[in-house]
Order: sequence, then structure tokens, then C-alpha cells
Amino acid sequence: MTLTALKPASLKEAREAVLDTTGRISIAGAGTAADWGGRLGPVDAVLDTTGLSGVITHNPGDMTVSVHAGTPLRALQEQLAEHGQHLSFDAARVAAGATVGGLVATADAGPSALVHGTLRDLVIGTTTLLSDGAVVRSGGHVIKNVAGFDLSKLLHGSYGTLGVLVEVVLRLHPVPKAIGTVVVECGLADAARLAGEVLASQLEPTAVEWLSSGRLLVRLDSTEEALPARLDRLTRLLGDGASVASGSSEASGQSGAGADVWAEHAALTRGDGGAAVVRIGVKPSLLPGVLEALPASTVSAGLGTGVATVSVPGRAVAEAHAAVHAAGGTSVLRCRPADLGAPAWGPPPSALAVLKAVKQRFDPDGRFGPGRFDPWEIS
Amino acid sequence: MTLDPVARAAIVAALGPDDVVDDPVQTRAYECDGLTGYRVRPEIVLIPRDAEGVARAVKACHRNGVPFVARGAGTGLSGGALPVADGVVISLARLKRVLEVDPVNRRAVVEPGVTNLEITAAVAAHGLYYAPDPSSQQVCTIGGNVAENSGGAHCLKYGFTTNHVYSMEVVLPDGELVTLGGDSAEQQGPDLRGVFLGSEGTLGITTKITVRLLRTPETVRTLLADFPSVAEAGEVVSDIVAAGIVPAAVEMMDTLAIEAAEEAVHAGYTVGVPAALVVELDGPIEQCDTEFAQVKAICDAHGCTRLHIAGSPEERAAIWRGRKAAFAAVGRISPDYFVQDGVVPRTRLAEVLGRIADMGDEAGLRVANVFHAGDGNLHPLVLYSAAAGETERAEELSGAIAELCVELGGSLSGEHGIGTDKACSMPKMYGEEDLAVMKRVRDAFDPEGICNPGKVLPTPRLCGERPGKYRPHPLEESGVIERL
Repeated sequence: MTLTALKPASLKEAREAVLDTTGRISIAGAGTAADWGGRLGPVDAVLDTTGLSGVITHNPGDMTVSVHAGTPLRALQEQLAEHGQHLSFDAARVAAGATVGGLVATADAGPSALVHGTLRDLVIGTTTLLSDGAVVRSGGHVIKNVAGFDLSKLLHGSYGTLGVLVEVVLRLHPVPKAIGTVVVECGLADAARLAGEVLASQLEPTAVEWLSSGRLLVRLDSTEEALPARLDRLTRLLGDGASVASGSSEASGQSGAGADVWAEHAALTRGDGGAAVVRIGVKPSLLPGVLEALPASTVSAGLGTGVATVSVPGRAVAEAHAAVHAAGGTSVLRCRPADLGAPAWGPPPSALAVLKAVKQRFDPDGRFGPGRFDPWEIS
Repeated sequence: MTLDPVARAAIVAALGPDDVVDDPVQTRAYECDGLTGYRVRPEIVLIPRDAEGVARAVKACHRNGVPFVARGAGTGLSGGALPVADGVVISLARLKRVLEVDPVNRRAVVEPGVTNLEITAAVAAHGLYYAPDPSSQQVCTIGGNVAENSGGAHCLKYGFTTNHVYSMEVVLPDGELVTLGGDSAEQQGPDLRGVFLGSEGTLGITTKITVRLLRTPETVRTLLADFPSVAEAGEVVSDIVAAGIVPAAVEMMDTLAIEAAEEAVHAGYTVGVPAALVVELDGPIEQCDTEFAQVKAICDAHGCTRLHIAGSPEERAAIWRGRKAAFAAVGRISPDYFVQDGVVPRTRLAEVLGRIADMGDEAGLRVANVFHAGDGNLHPLVLYSAAAGETERAEELSGAIAELCVELGGSLSGEHGIGTDKACSMPKMYGEEDLAVMKRVRDAFDPEGICNPGKVLPTPRLCGERPGKYRPHPLEESGVIERL
């Protein structure tokens, strides 16, 4: 059986492609998270969204932008930077060309989620194509809006199982005038203690992350005038081992002083080539304990968010799910060795019946993204 | 049609007589929420004592096919808690415990009947607070905030209820108790918590909420500035945004709103000025100081006629008292008024205010404006006299203003919700297909349609819609959206 390749360049073409094709469809963006979640079951067609690309409207004064969902976020950020604006979002795979739609569908997030939240907090409107050809718009072009059900939330983390994101409206923030990062070389236990002190202070860090290379990173977004004094206070709070990061190579995909340590963070989050990469989220206070117990080769850990990404041997995936679940958290497999049979998800949430009912109403024939939520049997 | 006696007996038995109110005199107290124009007396009011009680109540309703409506403090302004005739009201008034305060993880677990302000009171000793601050925060409950996805003056910087809730325990419309959301921002699969938040009580009843708490900012700076025109004040807001500053709050009041507020609370506003802005910045001292100096310079550059900087927490509180009193204060300058809630892209504020003034003139009615200028959320107050027979005209004007917001690329509601009030206006903002898919979400949670029916989505019974020929949506005509 040959796989049909669909690459629409407009909403109209996307709708026709879905209606003119029979059978199951995999929705793909730039392919930076093709393995994430459950292993994709047999499909008849692949719908490539990268032809749906570019800014639709950018209203700098309103700090909103609407884009075609296949737009690479990196390209969007470059365009927005000309206006001193950006999407406050820094997931590691943005640098690899991930699309806006793909990032929403996989609920990805980076270190600054501590302050700015995940994309569910930054998306203010969506246009979505369902498998029966229905086109639904939700939200709008204004930041504040409570009219109607917020369907964009359902698409966040839907892994291509509910609909094709076609357009996305985002709220923007000003690019910080100055960014500084303080680094402390330390192990996880010390990092957790220091993170607790920083978070209890009023220094307002934008990100607090520990890396398995033995570093705690604390980032401040600031005005230029205020940055030196704020960094000074932060350095003093963190003690003798703390210093302000200075390295900034172009290749890191980040900008400003301290970009190199964040490039290292992104690399660790992408994971260790041959290993399985598991994303976990627990209460922040429980995170160090959960991490200590895992046979992880790489770790990036948000000590304020409780969200970490770890590389573990394939045989340890089931154990990782169990440990996270026991701590009351959630986990999902991101990258996997080709022959790994381990489940992508831990035990299902208590509202599994609602997830199934939503899937049934949105995609009754189970056309989109079969297998992505296995072993929960949603799709 | 009345409630079937067998169903009635089963529903009463689910909780026992002590937790049931069915005396017609007493149930009348539940016939409306903050939108007092709509009134329906419920058949039975259930007042459970805990989540299990709520689940039993809902299960009994579900088994007997009886519609139910959840109710918190009843402060909602869109008729979201309007009872259904021959139906049940489930009051969450007794679920008002703060169950857990976790300062290390900066969160608290509370029951839905806890008021918004009680959360902050319970955690303040740890240097923490709960950020969303609707004007009714002293009385409105967190359960209602979850249902409405409530905002407040500070949501420009800090976001809405949806950005401050990790998880909720929810009784689904079939009586099942489940948890939506989780312990971190990392969640499993589609964000059911997110779609439930702001669904106005149509997808289930919240019985426990884990809220996110923030560290109190190191410093807060607040100023009150007068301007020669609304347009100049609007320019100031634009320039603040263009300077890359995200204020904690930017509020604007026009001359009528100032007059009313000042008469009511004497907060130090200048009576007679065309526009006043309240700008608040917060954060680390160094940052706040540099940005506050910039804001002052921007005010001066736009012909600010008086700049008052709060010199103490008391002065800051006075400025906010004036702003927050504005709604109720309008009662001092008009016998009756409607509170409207709409949103426009912020850059169209001056335009929408001009159009509202024209529409008011045309209708022969005064409109006072109070709004969250930072995010384009307007609260026009349409003043009228019922005794003079102006009610219908005022209602029409108020509705037309909300629909004007949609025409300008905005929204029917920024924070008060759709509820009963605006369900029939939803086709102005969304197309038939959009609404049909929203209905699929509702059906997935509540296939029998018994959970707060008649709210949010328009129904033919409610709105007297008849299928007619296709008419282009206003947003299609203006080129904002494309439809196939």
C-alpha cells in the first residue's frame, strides 16, 4: 500500500485533501517530534502542514499575531524581533525548525514556562479542520476573551488526534531589553535547595533549571538599567559558587550573554541519541527525589515548574512511568530506540472516558493519528 | 410542566431533608444571579456539604433526567447561574474550606465556595497571593471564577483564572468524580482542564481546585493621571506598550464614570476631566523604578493635566477603591443602568469609544465607560430610567455595543461570560459550524444536556432562530476570517 502525501497550501486545500482521502491520516509538521507519544499506527496518508506557512496578520500595537500553523516558530520569532516582540516560548526544538502547530499539538514548553506558561497560555485563537471537513474557529484576536468554549485548549497536547491546526493566533510579549543568567556548578540536591531560596525571594527569575552536567541556571529578564543590580543580588543570594554566564555563540539559537549555557540546556532536553527520552511533570518539591531514583544519562530539570526531560535506557521507561505516577505526576515518552516496545504513557487520567468521548465526537471514524495515545486506546 | 414526584423524591433523598430547600418562598432567593433581569424559580435547591454530596446530587439528577445548575455566590453578570424551570440548583455555599496551603510548591487546594480574596488571605503569611482579581473578589467564589474564567484588573500581566489553576476535581454531568489537570504544567493529552475552565458550568461542577500562587512582588507603584481627552489617554497606553513595558494594570475611566465614582467614595479623582488613567507597575525595585520613570514621562508627553502618585499603601488603596466602585457608583447618577462587557483590539479603543458615544447620542442615553485599557476590555455602563420607559432602548443599545466589539475584531465578552444574556448573540461572533463543534464538546461531557442547559450556546428555543439562507459573517466581510 502506498502512502498518500498531502501538502495543502491553504485551508481550502487542506479541507479538500482530508475529504478526498479515505482512511487514516497522520498529521505532520516539520517532523521534529515525529516519534513523540504513542507509536503511530498504520496510516493511509500523511498530511504535511508545512505548506501552510507564514504570518497572516501581525498587529504590533495589539501584541497579537495570527499565523498559518505550519509556520516554523524560529522564522516567526525573527520576523517579530523587528518589532521588539516575541512569543515568550523557548522549547528546545524550536531551533530545529518546529512549527507553531506542532508545538501546540505536542504541548511542548521550555524553561520560561515558569513565568509565561506553556502554549496553552499563549494561544488566543485557533482555526481547526476536523476529519469530517468541519472547520472550527475558537477564540479570536484579542487577549481577553471568554466567549464560547476554548477549543484551542483541546488541541493543546492532542498529538494530531483531534484535528488539523490550520491557523493559530498568539499573544506576544516585548523582547526583554536585557537577559542575564547566573550559573552555579552543583549537584541536584544543592540546586534544589538554592532554587527554593530563589523562588522564595522577590527576584522574579524567568527560569530556574538544573542540568545533569552539574549546573544550576537562573535567568533574569530585565531592563538594561536594572539588570546589573538584579544579577548582583541574585549572585549574592546563590553564594560563593555563583557567577554570571557570559558565553554567547551564534550557533546556540539563543541570544544575549549566557546563551551558551541555555544551548547546553536545549541539547540535554533533546536527549541522548540512543536512549529513550521521557518528559515528566510532578510537584516541584518531589522532582529531585524522582530524578535521583531514575537511571538517567541526561537531565534538564525545571526546579520551579516540576517539569523535567530525562534520557533513560529503553528498559527503564516503564519504571520511569511508574515512579512518576507514584509521585502523583505525569509522563510521556518522547524519543524512543527503534525496537523499544515500552508504553508511551503512564496510567491513564481519571477522565479517560471524557477523552474518549471527545475523540468520538471530533473524529468518530478514528482517522487522525491512530495509536498516539496507546496504551489508553483513545485512538 | 412540573417536576415528576418520583424524581423529586429521589433527588431529595440523595442528600436528605437538611440539605434541601424546596419551600417556594425560600427557593425564590435563588431565582437570579447578578444579572437580575432574568429570573426563574428553581424547583429544588440542594446544598451539599462535600464533594461526595455534590456527586450524589448530580447522580440523582442524571438518573432522573432533571436539569441542574451550579451556583456559587451568585455574583455572575451574565445569567450563568440562572436556574432552569422545574430544575435543581446545586449550591456550593457549604464547600468553603481551604484544604491545603503548600508554600514550597506555591499552591493551595481549596473548595469551590471559598471566595477569591479568602485564598490570598489564607496564604499571605507565606508572602504569596492568588493573582486573578475580579472586582467582586470579596464575595465571588473560586468555583464561579473557574466556571467563568474570571479576569480582573491585573490580568494584562498575570493572566486569567485559566493561567492559575493546576487541576480541579470535578463532578461530571453523570455524577462521576474525576480530576482534570495535574500537578505541573505538563499534562496528559488534550487539556480538558483548559476547556472546562470558562465553560460556564455547562460541563460539570467543580468540587476542589488546586490554584497556583505567586510570590508577592517586591514593590508596587501606582499612579493616577488625568488627560484632556480619551484619545490622549489611549495614546499613553499605546506608548507604554510600545516601550516594551508590561504594566500590572492599566485602567481608564471617562468623565461620567469618574463623576459617579468620586461621588460615591471620594477617592481623589478629578471631577470634570475627560479621562483618567490608573497605571500600576510591580516587580523587583530596580526594574519597577526605571519603568515607572518612563511611564511618567509618557504621561507628561501627552498633556497629562494632573499626575498623582500613590505615596502609601493607603493612597494606592484609595485609587483602586475609586476604580472598583465605579460600577455600583453609577447608581448615584442614574436610576438604572446596564453593565456591558466587550473586548476590542486595544488599538481600536479610541474608535470604539467614538462609536459608542454616537450610538448613545442617537438613542438619547448616556453611557459611562470604565475599562481595562491594557487589554481592550470595555465596560460601558448604559444609564437609563425604567420609570421613564427607557429600558428597552437601553437594552438594545447595550447589546449593540457588545456586537460592535465583535465587528471591530474583538469579542462579545472579556470576563462576564455569555451565560443566558448573550447566548443569542453568539452567532454574531461565531459561524454555525464553529458553534456546532462547540456543541460537540458539550455533548462529549453532557450527552443528555442536563448540566446548566440554555447557557453559552444559542438554541432555537432560546433565540427563535430559523434556518435561513447563508449570510456572511461580519468578520468574513471585514476580511478577518476566511470561510469555505
